Amino acid sequence: MSSSAFLDGVAHEIKDGESLYDFIERNIGKGTVPTLCYDSRLESFGSCRVCSVEIALEEEGPRRVVASCHTPVTENLYVFSTSARIKKLRKNIVELVLTDYPHDLIKGNGNGDRELHEVVKQVGLSEIRYAKGETHNDIKKDISHAYMRANLSKCINCYRCVRACDEIQGQFVLNMHGRGFDNRIIMGNDQGFADSTCVSCGACAQTCPTGAITDIFDSMAAPNAVRKERTVCSYCGVGCNLEVAVDAADNILSITAPSDAVVNEGHTCLKGRYAFKFQSHPDRLKTPLIKRNGKFEPATWDEAYGFIAERLTAIKEKHGPDSIAGISSARCTNEENYLLQKFIRAVIGTNNIDCCARVCHSPTALGMQMVYGTGAATNSIDDIKQADLFLVVGANPTDAHPVTGAKIKQAVMKGAPLILIDPMKIELAKYAKYHLALRPGTNIALLNIFTYYIISEGLVDEDFVERRCEDFEEFSASIRTIDIHALEATCGVERALIREAAIAYATANNAMEFHGLGVTEHSQGTRTVTMLAGLAMMTGNIGRPGVGVNPLRGQNNVQGAADMGAQPHQGAGYLDVTQPAVQQKYSEFYGRPVSSEVGYKIPEMFDAACGGKLKALWLMGEDVVQSDPNTQHVIDALSNLELLVVQEILPTETGKLADVILPATTFLEKSGTFTNGERRVQRVNAVVPPAEGTKTDGQIVVDIMNTMGYNQADYDPDTMLREIAQIVPFFAGIKWDELGENGKQWPVTQDGKDTQILHTETFKRGKGKFYFTEWKESVEIKDNRGKFPYILTTGRKLEHYNCGTMTRRTNNAMLLKEDTLVIHPKDAKKKGIKTGDMVRLFSRRGEIKMKSHVEKLVKPGILYTTFHFPDQMINYLTSDVSDGDSMCPEYKVVAVDFEPATSTPNEQTDEPKKMSATKQASE
Amino acid sequence: MVETDVVNRIVQQFGGDRTRLLDMARAVHAELGHISEETVAALAKALDVPRVEVRDMVSFYAFFFREPHGTNVIYLCHAVVERMQGADDIARALEEATGTTFGASDPDADITLRYTSCIGLSDQAPSALVNGVPVTNLTVDDVPELVAALRGGRDITRLRQAQVGNDVRTAGQVIFAPTERGAAVRKAVTMTPDAIIEELNVARLRGRGGAGFPTAMKWKFCRQAKEDVHYVVCNADEGEPGTFKDRAILALQPNLVFGGMTVAARALGARKGILYLRAEYEYLLRDLESELDKRRHLGLLGDNICGCEGFDFDIRIQLGAGAYICGEESALIESLEGKRGAPRARPPFPVEHGYLGKPTSVNNVETLCCAARILVEGGAWFADIGTKDSTGTKLLSVSGDCTKPGVYELEYGLTVLQLLERVGAENAQAVQMGGPSGQCLARKDFARSISFEDLPTGGSVIIFGPERDLLEAMRQFTAFFAEESCGWCAPCRVGTTLLEKCLQKILDGKGTFSDLEALETLGETVKTMSRCGLGQTAANPILTTLRNFPILYADRVRSDDGVMAFDLERAKEECCSVAGRAPATGEETP
Repeated sequence: MSSSAFLDGVAHEIKDGESLYDFIERNIGKGTVPTLCYDSRLESFGSCRVCSVEIALEEEGPRRVVASCHTPVTENLYVFSTSARIKKLRKNIVELVLTDYPHDLIKGNGNGDRELHEVVKQVGLSEIRYAKGETHNDIKKDISHAYMRANLSKCINCYRCVRACDEIQGQFVLNMHGRGFDNRIIMGNDQGFADSTCVSCGACAQTCPTGAITDIFDSMAAPNAVRKERTVCSYCGVGCNLEVAVDAADNILSITAPSDAVVNEGHTCLKGRYAFKFQSHPDRLKTPLIKRNGKFEPATWDEAYGFIAERLTAIKEKHGPDSIAGISSARCTNEENYLLQKFIRAVIGTNNIDCCARVCHSPTALGMQMVYGTGAATNSIDDIKQADLFLVVGANPTDAHPVTGAKIKQAVMKGAPLILIDPMKIELAKYAKYHLALRPGTNIALLNIFTYYIISEGLVDEDFVERRCEDFEEFSASIRTIDIHALEATCGVERALIREAAIAYATANNAMEFHGLGVTEHSQGTRTVTMLAGLAMMTGNIGRPGVGVNPLRGQNNVQGAADMGAQPHQGAGYLDVTQPAVQQKYSEFYGRPVSSEVGYKIPEMFDAACGGKLKALWLMGEDVVQSDPNTQHVIDALSNLELLVVQEILPTETGKLADVILPATTFLEKSGTFTNGERRVQRVNAVVPPAEGTKTDGQIVVDIMNTMGYNQADYDPDTMLREIAQIVPFFAGIKWDELGENGKQWPVTQDGKDTQILHTETFKRGKGKFYFTEWKESVEIKDNRGKFPYILTTGRKLEHYNCGTMTRRTNNAMLLKEDTLVIHPKDAKKKGIKTGDMVRLFSRRGEIKMKSHVEKLVKPGILYTTFHFPDQMINYLTSDVSDGDSMCPEYKVVAVDFEPATSTPNEQTDEPKKMSATKQASE
Repeated sequence: MVETDVVNRIVQQFGGDRTRLLDMARAVHAELGHISEETVAALAKALDVPRVEVRDMVSFYAFFFREPHGTNVIYLCHAVVERMQGADDIARALEEATGTTFGASDPDADITLRYTSCIGLSDQAPSALVNGVPVTNLTVDDVPELVAALRGGRDITRLRQAQVGNDVRTAGQVIFAPTERGAAVRKAVTMTPDAIIEELNVARLRGRGGAGFPTAMKWKFCRQAKEDVHYVVCNADEGEPGTFKDRAILALQPNLVFGGMTVAARALGARKGILYLRAEYEYLLRDLESELDKRRHLGLLGDNICGCEGFDFDIRIQLGAGAYICGEESALIESLEGKRGAPRARPPFPVEHGYLGKPTSVNNVETLCCAARILVEGGAWFADIGTKDSTGTKLLSVSGDCTKPGVYELEYGLTVLQLLERVGAENAQAVQMGGPSGQCLARKDFARSISFEDLPTGGSVIIFGPERDLLEAMRQFTAFFAEESCGWCAPCRVGTTLLEKCLQKILDGKGTFSDLEALETLGETVKTMSRCGLGQTAANPILTTLRNFPILYADRVRSDDGVMAFDLERAKEECCSVAGRAPATGEETP
């Protein structure tokens, strides 16, 4: 036996750096040491002292009492955790704590105080001997916030909320005020949560042992809950596990984050935790609707299916299968995505199937496939713990991927340098060692300089390149020819700073890359991804823990939607539809002939609709009017269709144009799997039955398949996964019953073994391939900069999710009420605008009005806004320029100009205007 | 806004260094008179730190006003010794003369009255800090003149009372012997760091703060900690009620203090030293700075000290802002870093992970003086003084009921009785040895010797004459700990207030036998379970008097049915069992 210590007389092995608390809990079981201030996710603090134990250097030697949570175990130490003295002291301490706690609550009413009450029981305390003395029972309750609640009379000063805010979220909203007995928790300005920088992540409420900090749902106590179900969040691609409390009438009461979830470790954000009320919102669509004479009329499911089947059959007969297309949903399950692409391919007979990955990470999938052979994140989120340096490019993870963002922020605060390449001064910029704030649209220019310095400084991992890569010589020769002075002027970042950052990246032991839509949503998006992938290869930062290229996937299942074949050139499992063998394989598998023609990508669908070639479009939960670029063009396209079918949970801008609306269920009402950004396939479990009148998206597709004569079994994740496992190679070993609580990361082999890190020995395509790309100015800027000299770039805010269809119907709307235009003070001054003023913002395609926010968050000449609210509809301005390789739209670069607006915002009567719709459509 | 301008200028003065937040807050406070919410916000913004972080720090220290106050501020010392010497009468007189009450300002906002705990002038009590100026030996008759001087805008430093006597009654051979400036440093540069540490080892020097950790070992651990930067910190946050010996050292022997720090720097390989000076001693700052300047001028500080190539060291002085806990070394380090003075968990110890995370040796003022003297006179010379395990001399701050209060430098090994004879207090009822955190000795203990072997002490000796209400003094001591508890851990935060309340109940004549029992249990819990030295000693006034003066308690409690029918023998047994010792048989109480 290696080194050991004695616990209550018995020798146990000790682990290096282990605390007495961990030593005891590891050997005699979790929960055996009572504590009030300890939370395994937080640094030990030692404020409650309830976990105290006796220690001695010799068995009969003098004993000392120490707090086990912050005292390390040492070799041959004698530890007494259950002696009579310790039991008495623990009881005394808890008794002390309770003297300053509302006495009427001590008996316990399950009001969020459970942990304290458990400890009271555990130490065997039955009465309090001390007279009621001075207390803090008169502190006013804080009900100022949309979600958070505080009743600090119940606070026992354990600091867990402060530490959770600091150490998990990194928001620093809470702290202690005063000293000694007068200590009390304060938030922000000491005026309550509402007047603070709180991001409503709920970490404080989740860790509070007494219910002093809770939320409007009283989530931790969930007093009326009859059961709790585990599922996976349906917002961003982090894939947080959620625990949902439900009452006897199947109402969703509250959501918390399970602490044993690998992905989120007891944490989540305000969207996952609190923004669930859309599920029971009165706006929910509850019956199929068919538009007749310009008006929606309720219909039965059979009527709706009949109507659709008849129209689709007629269109297919008259115009051929390629006149029909489908857009799948990255918000739906793998099984549902698989079904919709199967419906389009096998039942309709076309490859006109795409999904919203087109408008976000299609360049990532394509670019990484070109370089590595696989278009998915190479590493796991957990690798953040092992990274020594972070390179974040075109992503705002603390807003858009909050749990991963918080993890990166924590690692950076602990000392790992961060290189941030982003035009915006986002939250992470504050912590970045190098913030390369480039002009939007010049990623390639900057990355070429970055790469140039790695090569010219001799920092290439030659051994790795030699063994694992190809085409480096040509690449390197091309890089050496770039004009760094010209590119420096182009991107607007000093090359000396780029050089420093490049050296830092190349010399770090483990450098981990993250990128987002600031990389992909550009005219050279795919090429930028190949550059980033190349950077990792040339420095050997791939194929091992703590490194890699990790796209931050925007939607809960955007990875899965593409995996399942919701794209026009590759079917389920990324097989090339143009290959005869593949065509044969799919045809045999589906029992119907499938096409070998590459189908329309989303922007092509709109063009084809405008041009009259596309007649019918099926949308599964996609609000293309609000989310796709050049709104007017999208509206024109949809209006030109003969049939538009929309599966939705709530009314949307796109829904208004539909011929048939089919009411679907939310993620809380369905089962299936989501694949998060690290390829983790996790079980989504129906928490409550479908709302009355709704069906799961999967069942809807199954129904229409059957109506149209294809025999498809009813929607069920287990049977669907069995089918998928046969056709998607990397799903071979994925079985519903074997996914467990934390899922599995694909590829999963037949025997059920999953994969944390890709490309460890070889790349999927064999050797990693380098691509050199010259920077090119976007056509949008080239053509329009004369008339529209400002560059508008867009992004997301923490409080809302994309079009806001869901989040706007929750209290999140109280936290952020509208989109605003971020303007640099210099530009604002030039135009005579101050924060809060209405501005008219216009591009070649249209104009909108919105409120301004003047702050140095962008450089002069750059404007920034979000696209969460239909009142603003920023996509009236965005262009239909797209990435030359993947057709991902260039949301991030729009040539615009602006001026003070004379009147009120865009009201119902004052719809956003297009400038030259007919001209635009014909271009 | 004025606040923002002032804050921005001051933040700039400190190079925007977050770790100097305490200095910035002090400077802003000095200029604006108080630290408003706007100032907190401005500091947070200028430093780009969360607002609660600034507020957390500012709200911790007693000397930061959060609201506007009078032009003049009188901090009347209201500690036990001062109240014994009539501080309450002074307080009444002040309230009468100013027309306001303690904790408030007069209607014209001329004068604000505040109480404060020990300001290191117990030998000259009653005393006060008036606009930072120490005013001593106050009588009720002095008060009108003082108030008139303040209202008239006159220079109070010219008042008779505005003089601090050094009161060194006995000068010994280590601390108060004549000193040649720079002698220790000149010796140190001829020695290797290991040789310096060995010299202290030979001297068997132990820390003078009270705990008595061998200084050579502390320096050795610190030196061995593998880091590029090491720090020397001098703990001049002399806060234990009844102690004022560092005040005398800093006034009379600053060169010995700085010499000791420089010797430590040589031994540890440190390039920076900090002297943490309690805010109450701000009036000593000017002379200390001037001593530092002289030393720089003489090449005793700065680069290549005494021509020794590569021996670069300098010292800055950090002022506190009113918090007893900052005398605890890790709390002091937190305070140095511009944070609230909350002690750190140990391990890691400061010698490995101290100021700014670097190895740091925190030493008492007196210890550093000893180290300087040892270098000059030799370890063997030092080891010859005192007893086997307590070498050298000890400075004692003697106050309370005696005829000759003041600072005494005496060889270790002296008995309490010998001390009492020397200071004119032979008839003492009790002696509080080591201040409130030490122990309350009864006459039966007076034959014990002041030494690490028997009665270790940080130096505070408070004498209670036969007529004093000893338990009331103990209640005040306990209230002091409750006031100064940082609030981190539950036993100290809640336990100290409960201890005080419980004792108060007994003093009010409402206590019963079960209260006495509760007091013992509570005291043991606070002592055993607290996180740092403050909590671990906060129950000492009560626990040691329960042990040594059980009859005083017996006199005050009632049986549970309300009749004075207390079983003295039983109480004694109880008390002894708590204390874990046999009942004393000899002379007990007068």
